[in-house]
Amino acid sequence: MYNRRTTFLALAAVLVTFGALWLTNRAVTPKEATWADVLAEARFGGYRIITSEELAKLYQKDAKNITLVDTRQEWEYRTGHIKGALNFPMEPTWWSRWRKAPALETFLGPDKDRLTAFY
Amino acid sequence: MAVTLGYKNVYRDPHGYPEWQKMGMPIESVPAGQSQSSKEPKAPGPLYGWAMIWTLLGVFVGGMALNLTPCVYPLIPITVSFFGGQAGRAGQGRGKLVTHGLCYVFGLAITNSTLGVIAAITGSLMGAILQNPIVLIAVATILVFFAASLFDLWELRLPGGLTQAAAKSYSGYFGSLFMGLTLGVVAAPCLGPFILGLLTWVAGLGSPWIGFLVFFTLSLGLGLPLFCLAVFSGQLDKLPRSGGWMIWVRKLMGWVLIGMAVHFIRPILPESVEVFLLAGVALAAGLHLGWFDRNQANFKAFAWMKMVAGVTGLVLATFIITSWAMHGPGVTWKPYSNEVLQEAQRSHKPVIIDFYATWCTPCRELEETTFHDAAIVNQAEKDFIMIKVDVTKGGNPVHERLLQRYGVKGVPTIVFLDKKGREKRDLRLVDYLPPSQFIGRMAELKKSDG
Repeated sequence: MYNRRTTFLALAAVLVTFGALWLTNRAVTPKEATWADVLAEARFGGYRIITSEELAKLYQKDAKNITLVDTRQEWEYRTGHIKGALNFPMEPTWWSRWRKAPALETFLGPDKDRLTAFY
Repeated sequence: MAVTLGYKNVYRDPHGYPEWQKMGMPIESVPAGQSQSSKEPKAPGPLYGWAMIWTLLGVFVGGMALNLTPCVYPLIPITVSFFGGQAGRAGQGRGKLVTHGLCYVFGLAITNSTLGVIAAITGSLMGAILQNPIVLIAVATILVFFAASLFDLWELRLPGGLTQAAAKSYSGYFGSLFMGLTLGVVAAPCLGPFILGLLTWVAGLGSPWIGFLVFFTLSLGLGLPLFCLAVFSGQLDKLPRSGGWMIWVRKLMGWVLIGMAVHFIRPILPESVEVFLLAGVALAAGLHLGWFDRNQANFKAFAWMKMVAGVTGLVLATFIITSWAMHGPGVTWKPYSNEVLQEAQRSHKPVIIDFYATWCTPCRELEETTFHDAAIVNQAEKDFIMIKVDVTKGGNPVHERLLQRYGVKGVPTIVFLDKKGREKRDLRLVDYLPPSQFIGRMAELKKSDG
């Protein structure tokens, strides 16, 4: 009686371990995001898309009033970034978004109407 | 996300930096000198006054923590049998027993302190010795030997000569001191790898006196529980036998020792053997402790304990095998040759040379973690020439010349060459580095166009 129950439990635990490892370790080829994907994502997130040309125009006119945020990893930022941009490393995952929200609020400051551009 | 926080004017430029760079808009980068990766660790200075006292206090606590490592298991039954016998024989007072205990711990401390002094005098050589294959095999053998005793395959008894020496003319305090001295020899090599950091630190200080002091304090911390055990071991005999579960706990300790033995010989095994051996031990331990062991106890939690131990063993075995089987591909290394270096210069690619030895633990960590990281593998394939030089066995003239040319003093050493084939000394690596920081160095190397 004891042995059968334990064996069952052990097999279940082994299967769970196996499944969890497979889920986290399987090779996923990241999909290249198309322009439509980018637009859909923007609609979902509630922000607007700006092309580099438009951003460049705004930048040349009035660079001081734009907050430029570089969301790439720190080592990417170090090798080169738009002049004046600040680094806020951000992984495109839900976990990262949820975890870093408070930090982002202090990072962007209290002015909620300021023009902010992420890249 | 910024929108949910209430920001209104939020834009995103999906093409971002690469396009910006192409358009010739103003960009900047962090100069190489300022990056955090080229920080040098500060050399440890001499210790005075309060700093010294605090350090020693920390070392003492660390010594007590070392009692959690299985190295101390073998000492427990020996201590009990030795002091239990003493108390029973002479019917001595408590005071005398305390002095005996002190002598015992003192002897233990002297043996361990010798280790510290040797480390301080010989410099970093001590660490190298402790990672030597022969020493590792010896330690593993001792561990398996003691594990067998815990499995009741043989009974651990003091060698006859020793007991007699202790019982005879110097049955006095010298006997206890002598016991401590000998038992220190058992524990010291086993503790070595746990305190490798401390050994290196002491070696860096280079003062035999401080080396002695640090290790003496460490041993006092280590010996404190043994001292209590020694003083109360007389009473221990009068306790009622605690039934089958005690035997089960001994077996559990035995399996921990065997696991540690495998852990010790890891560096000298090929990776696949190591993985299967570890998984095999976990599996055997789980089955033995959870199912085959028939010991019963008169309290209910015992069944649970058995089940938890059994299931943990099985899950651990699955975890080890599965995570090994699902390991992604690693960096593809090239063996060293002059042609490869010339080819790299022709194609304007930076070169990374990894000097390693099979027995070196940080080298393995680098290979298993850093050089299997997806981002690093990706970068390496695209823009780098990766070369690996195995210096486990000496005597290869090509390798000897390489070691001299780059001034490699030990393993691991990772040398970074820029596109023109010149070494970037500030990037050089002599220890394990996690992937996130390693990729920073790769980026910096790529940026420096020589």
